[in-house]
Amino acid sequence: MTVDELEDVWRRESPHVLGALLRRHGDYADCEDAAQEALAAAAEQWPTEGMPDNPRGWLVRVASRRLVDRVRSDRARAAREETVGTAQAADAFVAPPADEDTEPGDDALLLLLLCCHPTLSRPSQVALTLRAVSGLTTAAIATAFLVPEATMAQRLSRARTTLRATGARFEAPTVEELPTRVAAVLDVLYLVFNEGYARSSGDTLVETSLAEEAIHLTRQLHAYLPGHDEVAGALALMLLTDARRAARVDARGDLVPLAEQDRSLWDRRLLDEGVAILEEVLPRGPVGAYQLQAAIAAVHAEAPRSEDTDWAQIVVLYAMLDDVAPSPAVTLNRAVAIGMSTGPGAGLEALQPLLDDPAMDRYHRLHAVRAHLLELSGDVGAAEVAYARAAELTRSKPEQRYLARRLARLRKEGATRG
Amino acid sequence: MKYVILIHSNPQPWGHPTSDFLAEHQALSQEQRDAENAAFEALLTELSQNGELVGGEPLAAPSTAKLYRWDAGRPVVTDGPYSEAKEHFAGFFLVDVETQERAEAIAARLSGPGETVELRMSMSDGGDDQ
Repeated sequence: MTVDELEDVWRRESPHVLGALLRRHGDYADCEDAAQEALAAAAEQWPTEGMPDNPRGWLVRVASRRLVDRVRSDRARAAREETVGTAQAADAFVAPPADEDTEPGDDALLLLLLCCHPTLSRPSQVALTLRAVSGLTTAAIATAFLVPEATMAQRLSRARTTLRATGARFEAPTVEELPTRVAAVLDVLYLVFNEGYARSSGDTLVETSLAEEAIHLTRQLHAYLPGHDEVAGALALMLLTDARRAARVDARGDLVPLAEQDRSLWDRRLLDEGVAILEEVLPRGPVGAYQLQAAIAAVHAEAPRSEDTDWAQIVVLYAMLDDVAPSPAVTLNRAVAIGMSTGPGAGLEALQPLLDDPAMDRYHRLHAVRAHLLELSGDVGAAEVAYARAAELTRSKPEQRYLARRLARLRKEGATRG
Repeated sequence: MKYVILIHSNPQPWGHPTSDFLAEHQALSQEQRDAENAAFEALLTELSQNGELVGGEPLAAPSTAKLYRWDAGRPVVTDGPYSEAKEHFAGFFLVDVETQERAEAIAARLSGPGETVELRMSMSDGGDDQ
């Protein structure tokens, strides 16, 4: 048994082991400590004694014993201080819980909901999900998010303290709560996906990219909640976006915009899967923001060449998205689509509400889109100013290089024209 | 999102925390100085405990700097300071926060009498292909 094999087992079993402990003892921090002790025991015993036939049962049994020890010693300390103990007999943890009347997915789903609990900050939700549900080490999560391990350890520790302080429980949310709780999970998973997808290089953590991990977790969520249309929509969106990964960066590591991507590099299998999920879910009824974004990605996927894109269809989808989840980014993307389907003048007109808003002046994409539309409309001078402003405002190195190159080209053409 | 918060200051003599060596800070009442110092410590503890503080360093006196300038195909070294400006680069904090607003709030809390705090976004490798 190698370290890698143990890690694979742990990444598969971690949510189930934690879930089994959490069903009996509500405190996440205690359960995680006990689970980590079981992992350490496995790392010590399995290489010499071999992996047990039922590794999950073994891990749950060992972790349960450690948890009992922990609770007993806490109680002994508490008894001296005359504090009320928890209601359960300590030995209740020892009973193997894996054969109970719950579906295997239930624990992992409840764990996901707990990790994305509304009392936690977004960075804590992200860190805790990757730690508890994906079974990644603190060091791996820190590497993925480009922060020191100590910083990530603090975020995780803060998350555990918050869960304890707010009394967040490992239990199914009420029917009323469920939609917002699942929406929070989707937002966390999509953020993890984007963190991985948006990065042009250096995105490897323990042989898995953040984008792949997010897809993996969303697939699981989709399997637990097959009737949840937005979960299906988010999965389709991730698949349709990830399909473009090989085409979005050139040999120099520079960003290739959608219109200029070599579409033969798009992953047909991921595109087909994303489209199939959408075709099943779209007719079912009220269409949410993830489904609409996935539908837009699907329209792009269906165009063999950039000039074949059905922009009129995309304009309609962005108008629907604007109804469901309005945001400056949606207004902006809708303006791009209008510019492509009707003409740059109409696109610039659609940008006007954003241009009128002083708070949007520092939003680099607004200037980038305006620059592009101005260039198409033939107003080179104004386009140059807008490209320069966008390049100055962006915090993305590849985008900055791209915008600076467009600007340099316009200036050169201007010089040639004299 | 990562931000660097640069502290520009001119403690006399050079020393850290810079506020201890700034005339503007010394002009405050002892109570005000204690309150400022306590607020600074509280902020650092908060940033460290919630996982927003990524790093930071106080810097040695600008007079100890070595400056390397390229001349005729090779580096020529001179002694600092880098500029004759009123304030010098005295130290920095690197934070990783959720929003620009949060970064601005932190930078504002790091400012004090007699120095300038500069908030700069750091660039990322990520990018959008749309």
